[in-house]
Amino acid sequence: MRLGMFFREALRSIRANAAISVAATVTALIAVFILGAFIPSFMYVRSAVSAQTSKVDVDVYISDTASVKQVNALRDKIGTLKTDGQVAEFTYVSKDDALRLMRERLRDPSVLDELPSNPLPAKFNIQPTDPANANAIVAAVKDDAALDPTEGIVYPQTTADRLLTAAKFVQWAGFALIGILLVAAVLLIGNTIRLSIFARRREVEVMRLVGATNWFIRWPFMIEGVICGLVGAVVAVAMLWGIKVGVVDAWASGADTALTKTGSAGGAIAFPLLTVVLVGAGALLGAVGSGITLRRFLRI
Amino acid sequence: MARIDDDIHDAGSTPRAFTLVEVPLETVPADLAVVTPPASEKRRRGDVFRPGPGPMVQFQGVIKRYDGDVRGLDGVSVSIAAGEFVFLVGQSGSGKSTFIRLCIRELRATSGHVIIGGRDLGELKRSKVPYLRRAIGCVFQDFRLLPDRTASENVAYALQVTGHSRQEVNRRVPEILALVGLDGKGDRLPRELSGGEQQRVSIARALVNQPRLLIADEPTGNLDPDTSQGIMDLLTRINRTGTTVLVATHDRDTVDRMQQRVIALHKGRIVRDAEGGYNEDPGDTGEIA
Ligand SMILES: Nc1ncnc2c1ncn2[C@@H]1O[C@H](COP(=O)(O)OP(=O)(O)O)[C@@H](O)[C@H]1O
Ligand SMILES: [Mg+2]
Repeated sequence: MRLGMFFREALRSIRANAAISVAATVTALIAVFILGAFIPSFMYVRSAVSAQTSKVDVDVYISDTASVKQVNALRDKIGTLKTDGQVAEFTYVSKDDALRLMRERLRDPSVLDELPSNPLPAKFNIQPTDPANANAIVAAVKDDAALDPTEGIVYPQTTADRLLTAAKFVQWAGFALIGILLVAAVLLIGNTIRLSIFARRREVEVMRLVGATNWFIRWPFMIEGVICGLVGAVVAVAMLWGIKVGVVDAWASGADTALTKTGSAGGAIAFPLLTVVLVGAGALLGAVGSGITLRRFLRI
Repeated sequence: MARIDDDIHDAGSTPRAFTLVEVPLETVPADLAVVTPPASEKRRRGDVFRPGPGPMVQFQGVIKRYDGDVRGLDGVSVSIAAGEFVFLVGQSGSGKSTFIRLCIRELRATSGHVIIGGRDLGELKRSKVPYLRRAIGCVFQDFRLLPDRTASENVAYALQVTGHSRQEVNRRVPEILALVGLDGKGDRLPRELSGGEQQRVSIARALVNQPRLLIADEPTGNLDPDTSQGIMDLLTRINRTGTTVLVATHDRDTVDRMQQRVIALHKGRIVRDAEGGYNEDPGDTGEIA
């Protein structure tokens, strides 16, 4: 079987150039380790940001003088927005509910007993499916007859915009960083494999002179790259696992903060999946790195 | 290839037909097979370099200049028919190695045409060069062995390249090593072998794929006279199986003894092309004494 022969050739090459193989493996290890630490952090931050963004909701205040018919018309209007998919959830908060909520929130609710009448307006609390829809929702209801003329519509526009920008930034910065990391890793591994080939350039020349095709020469080197990438990735994953169990999990169970909850609940990637991604990345780094290098070497 | 196969069957000889160095030339049948023919040649069409009917080697006004205007060859035109045995002679630096390296496209001609088996190497695609090299067995002046492989593994590599199975490799490598007088030394690395022994590994590797054209660059340069004689006998025998043989050498005695066609080079030009000895008519060669 040819694959078996190429594999034996690759092992021979690794043994013959032990120092260089170790260097390639360590390069893969570092690259995969950084990637493996970065991916969960990135996903954590992204989920934290989107958790904040999802809290952006729109309050539509209703005039005390609005008729039941007008309020129902407004409810239908918002209902339509929900069927359109712009609104995820909306609730009607009556004047009494508003007062009760206010009472629950105050440390000394007795101050409210002094009031001659309930000053709080009723409202619809609307949760957009996406914070980006908030403006459209506002536009759809802003001229409604049932609206309270003074309170109108309240929604944290600047917060929403800022969060949106932040979420987009985190996303693009994350992808860009992962991209840069991968390219750097491919170049580094390619460079190390280049050393291996350079050390054996006379051998490669002889192989060509006795009629070896480029692919015949290339396969063992690519397998060598894949083996180095795989070994590096496996060691990196083991190190990441140690850090996850020893540091992150211990910290998360000790400190039951809102932050850790948001992060691990929605965002953190499952470790087995991460392992698969990282080991795959290691193998690919090795193959692509040596493949690219060989292209330049085999032009005789 | 068919012709070699037929010869074997006609002669009724076993695959292990001879071990050369011990057996005197006269006792060996002229039509003997060099090595066992491959039992299963799994080659795809287009992957094989098949020499056409015309001359095996043809140079048409070939000029090869190295960097700095050094002339390797300076207008060489010559034709070698299939089945010939030819010596390429000349002083060191006369262009013998350049001639040979052009034949396997290790070098490309600066101008003129190098045509092997009817194919102009100037027009041969890079991806087809390996197949050309498989059809030519080449013994290099500096052996070009793979340093971290044993003698057997070096010969095996040439078989692996052409896609032979492990069983076939295991069968043919000891045969061919015995043929060049290296039995028992297959497990040695090149650095554990003498110059002459490395030379013979290089010869074994060139022979193992049963090339239609065998080129040897100073194959006896590192050998004592007896071993040289043995190598020359081997090359003669290979030539009798129909293989074209081209030997570059400055070994006067060998050339004189063999009485074959001699092409003499001097400063990159052909100064003589005739049957006979190394230097039949010294006045003609332009050689400087
Ligand atoms: N790689 C090279 N670069 C430059 N000059 C070379 C190179 N190889 C050979 N030459 C020159 O080309 C000429 C012919 O060399 P070569 O073919 O090796 O001669 P021979 O094999 O007959 O000794 C010599 O002058 C030699 O110095
Ligand atoms: Mg030479």
